[in-house]
Amino acid sequence: MSRGFNRLLESVVSINVRELAFESGARRYTSSLGSGVLMSEDGVVLTNAHVVSRRAVEINVTLSNLERVGARLVGWDHWTDLAVLRLDMDEVKRRGFKLAAARFGESEKLFPGQEVYAVGTPHGLTRTVTRGIVSNPNRYFEDNRGINGYETGMFNTWLQTDAAINPGNSGGPLVTSDGRVVGISSRGYLGANNLGFAIPATTARVVLESLVRDGAVVRSYVGIVPGALQDLENFYALALNTGVLVSSVDPGSPAAKAGLRPGDILLSIDGARVDGRFPEQLPPIQNLVASRPIGSELRLAVKRGAETREFTVVTERLESRVGEEWALEKWGLSVRRVSRTYARENQLEGTDGAVVIGVQPGFPGDVAGVARGDILLKVNQQAVGSLEVLKQAHAAYEAAPAPTLLETQRNRRVSLLILKP
Amino acid sequence: MTSFRRLFRARFLVITFAAVAGSSAATTDLPALWAERVKSVVAVEYVTVTETERRPTVSMGTVVDAAGTIILQSVAIDPRAALRQLKDFRVYLPGEGAGAPAEYLGQDAFTGWHFVRAGQETRARLTPVTAFAGPGEPRRPAIAEAVWGIGLRPKDEDFQPYILRSSVALLQAIPQLTAIAQQEVAAPGLPVFDLQGALVGLAGPSGGQTFLQISRTGRPVPTLLINVEESSAFLVAAEVLPHLGRIPRDPSGRPLAWLGAYGLEPMDREVAKFLNLQAQSGAVVSEVLEGSPAEAAGLKPRDIVLALNGAPLPQLKPDRAVVAFLEREVERRAPGEKFTLTVLRGTERVEIAAALGEQPKLAREAERRYFDRLGVTAREPVYADAIERRQRPGVLAGVVAHFVKAGSPAATAGLRPDDWVREIDGAEVKDFADATARLALIEADAERAEFVLLVARGNETAVLRVKLK
Repeated sequence: MSRGFNRLLESVVSINVRELAFESGARRYTSSLGSGVLMSEDGVVLTNAHVVSRRAVEINVTLSNLERVGARLVGWDHWTDLAVLRLDMDEVKRRGFKLAAARFGESEKLFPGQEVYAVGTPHGLTRTVTRGIVSNPNRYFEDNRGINGYETGMFNTWLQTDAAINPGNSGGPLVTSDGRVVGISSRGYLGANNLGFAIPATTARVVLESLVRDGAVVRSYVGIVPGALQDLENFYALALNTGVLVSSVDPGSPAAKAGLRPGDILLSIDGARVDGRFPEQLPPIQNLVASRPIGSELRLAVKRGAETREFTVVTERLESRVGEEWALEKWGLSVRRVSRTYARENQLEGTDGAVVIGVQPGFPGDVAGVARGDILLKVNQQAVGSLEVLKQAHAAYEAAPAPTLLETQRNRRVSLLILKP
Repeated sequence: MTSFRRLFRARFLVITFAAVAGSSAATTDLPALWAERVKSVVAVEYVTVTETERRPTVSMGTVVDAAGTIILQSVAIDPRAALRQLKDFRVYLPGEGAGAPAEYLGQDAFTGWHFVRAGQETRARLTPVTAFAGPGEPRRPAIAEAVWGIGLRPKDEDFQPYILRSSVALLQAIPQLTAIAQQEVAAPGLPVFDLQGALVGLAGPSGGQTFLQISRTGRPVPTLLINVEESSAFLVAAEVLPHLGRIPRDPSGRPLAWLGAYGLEPMDREVAKFLNLQAQSGAVVSEVLEGSPAEAAGLKPRDIVLALNGAPLPQLKPDRAVVAFLEREVERRAPGEKFTLTVLRGTERVEIAAALGEQPKLAREAERRYFDRLGVTAREPVYADAIERRQRPGVLAGVVAHFVKAGSPAATAGLRPDDWVREIDGAEVKDFADATARLALIEADAERAEFVLLVARGNETAVLRVKLK
C-alpha cells in the first residue's frame, strides 16, 4: 500500500465510552465501543455522534500503538452523526506519544466503482481494514430517530459503499487507496449484505470546523419539510428543475405562522432559485435555510395554484425533538423535557412538562400508575416549566418523603396521581 | 410448592360445597325448566355490507317481550358500521338450521343493547324472558348460590342449545351490579336463572383470565384469555328488567344526549386524601369540547367532578367505575334535560348547571360514497374527526378517506384509512358534495392517467399521486 495509507492506519483509533443512561427509571452506566480518526496532531478525533454522546462520562481512546489515552467530548452534531473528541494532550506529552493525523480527501470527486477502504474496530477487532467500492457517492436518506432517538440525515447525503461496515466500525474513516479520508463510516443496513454508509468528507470538514470552534453546529429553522418534485412538474405547470415541493409544514413553526401550506411549491429563498427535483437535491436546500443566522428574515417565493406569492419568515434555532433527560431515582422515573418540536409533533398545548421515558417497577411512580410516554404536567400543583421544577420536588421528597401530587397526561387524558413514600 | 397445594385444596373445598348446594335443591325439575326457558333465547345473524364484501356476523340474543323484541349485547354490532350497511337480519331458534327475517330497531345508548324484532311467524314460538322474572322485586342472586344458563353451538351445528351451570362467586358494582360466577354460566347476551327457574341476570362479555404460557425453552409468558362463546359474568336482574322497554324510537338510536366533557379520569383515594376530600369520589375532566353543552355551562378542563344533582359520586371499585357511572348518568337522560355538577376548581367548589345537548353527527351517520376504480370511500367529516385531530370543529373542509381498498390505485399511492383529504388536484375541497363531484369526474374519465391528493395524517401532510394507468 501507499505511504499515505500506512500513515492513515496510524491515525485510526478505537474508542471506549462509558455513558449515563436514564431510560430505566434510574441512573445507569452503559459502555460501548466505536472507532475514530485523528484529524490533527494536537489530538482532535473525529467520530460518530452515535458512538460518543453528550451523556458520556468516560472516554478512552486506544491509539495505533495500542496505548490508551483519556479524551473529552468537544462537540456533537446528531444531524450529521458526527462528534469531535480531544485527547488528553498532557497525558500524550507526558507519555511521549507521537500523534499522526489523517487528511481529508475530496469526496465530491468519488465515482461509483472507485475502490475505498473502511478502517476501524468492528466487533472490537482493532485496526481492521475492509475493502470495497463506492456504490453510490450521493445517497439520500433521513432518519427521524436514527441517532438513539435523535434526528439525522436532513442536511447531508451519504456515501454508499460495499466495504464491510460492522458494528464498531462506526466513526472510523472510509479512505481512498492513498489514505485520504473521504468519509466517516456510520452505519450499515441490518440484514442486508454490504450496504454501508458514510458521511462524506465535504460535510465532515465543515462540521468538524464548527464543532472544534463552537462545540455545536447552530442551524436556522423555518419548519418546511421539503419533498422532491420527481415528475410532478407537469401537474404543477412548472418548468423542469424548478422549485421544491413543500410536503409538510410543522404546525406552529415560522413557516406555518407566515401562511405556508403543504402542497405549495417553493421557488426561491431570498432570490436564490431552488431545484428539488430529486431527493439527493434536498440537503443543499435545507442547508440554504440552516446556514443563515438565527432570526434572519427570509423571503420565500412560493407558487400556489396559478399564482406566485412571496412570504417572509423569520428563522428560529433548529432544535431536536429529544429534550434534556434526567432520572428522578427515588420515584423510579426517568424523564425527558418536552421540547418545542415534541410539543408541536404531539399537538400539546404548550411546552410545559416532561415525558416519562422509563419507570422502575415497584417504585412510587410505578405504584401510582405512571407509565412510559406519560407527560408530567404539574408536581404539587406547580407547572413543570423546566426539569428544575421536578428536580426540586424530587429533592424535597428525598429529604422528607411525603405524598406528592402529580398531574399527568396520557394521550389527551389528564390524571391526578399520588407518589407515596 | 406449598402455595400450589394450598390453592388446590381451596378449589376442592369449593367444589364440595357447590355439590351440597346442588343436592339441597334437587326437588326442582331442571330438565322441565330448561325446556321452557330455552324458548327465550335465539341466535341473530346479520350481514355487514362493506365496499368489497358481505360479512356475516352471529350473536346471541334474549327475547324480552311478546312482540318478539330481542336484545343483543353492544359488541354485537361494530359501532363504525353505518345503518345502511347492516342487512338481512335473521333470527334462528335453538336447534334449527333455518332462520326467519327480522328487523333491526337500533341501539339504546344507556344500556348499549341493540334491539331486533323477530318476524310474525317466529314470535309465536318465542317466550319472553320476563315470563320467568316472577312477581315483585327482581331476584338477586346470593354469593355461593347455584345458577345456570344456556349456551348455543355454532351455526353449522344448528345453534344446538346446551346447559351451563355454576355458582355465584362475587357480586360487584362496576357500576352496575354484576355477578361473577365461578365458571362460564351462559353465552354472552343470554339469560341466567336460579335453580327454581327464576331469572337472576343477563350474561355480558366475559372477563379475561390470565394464564401463564410456558414453553420448554422460554420463560413463562402471562397470556390473557377471553372466552368469547361463554361468559362467567352477568348483570343481575335488577340492572336488566327495568330497562327492557328502552326500545329506540328510531334505528339511528337518536336522540342521543351529549355533555362534551372529554377524557374523564377517576380520582383515586390517595388523591382525594391529598386534596382534603376524605371519603369522596371524583372524576377529572381532561378537556371540554368546543361548542359543547359542557362548555356552554362553564365547565373547565382540570375541573374535578364531585357530585351530580347534589349527590356525591359513589365510591366504587375499581376506580374507573366512577367514570362509567358519570357517563351512564348522561346516557340515561334525554337532550334538553338539566342537571347540576359540583366540581372542584383549584381549591374552590363550583356549581355547574348544565343542559344536555344532542350528539353531533357521528361517523357512522356521515354521508359516504365509494369510488371503485380509485379504491376509496370518501366520507363527510364529522365533529369527532375534528376533535381527534385537534382541529376547530366549526371548520370541516375536506373529506375523510373512510376505506381504502387494498391494492387499489389509492392504496398504492399511499392513502390510508382516516387520512383527511384537503385538496384534489391542487384545489381545496370545500365539502363532501364538492369532493364527490370531483372524484366522480376523475373516476368516469377513462383517459385520466393520474391525479393528486393533498392529505393530512396526524400532524403531517403529504402530497399523494394516484396513478390510474
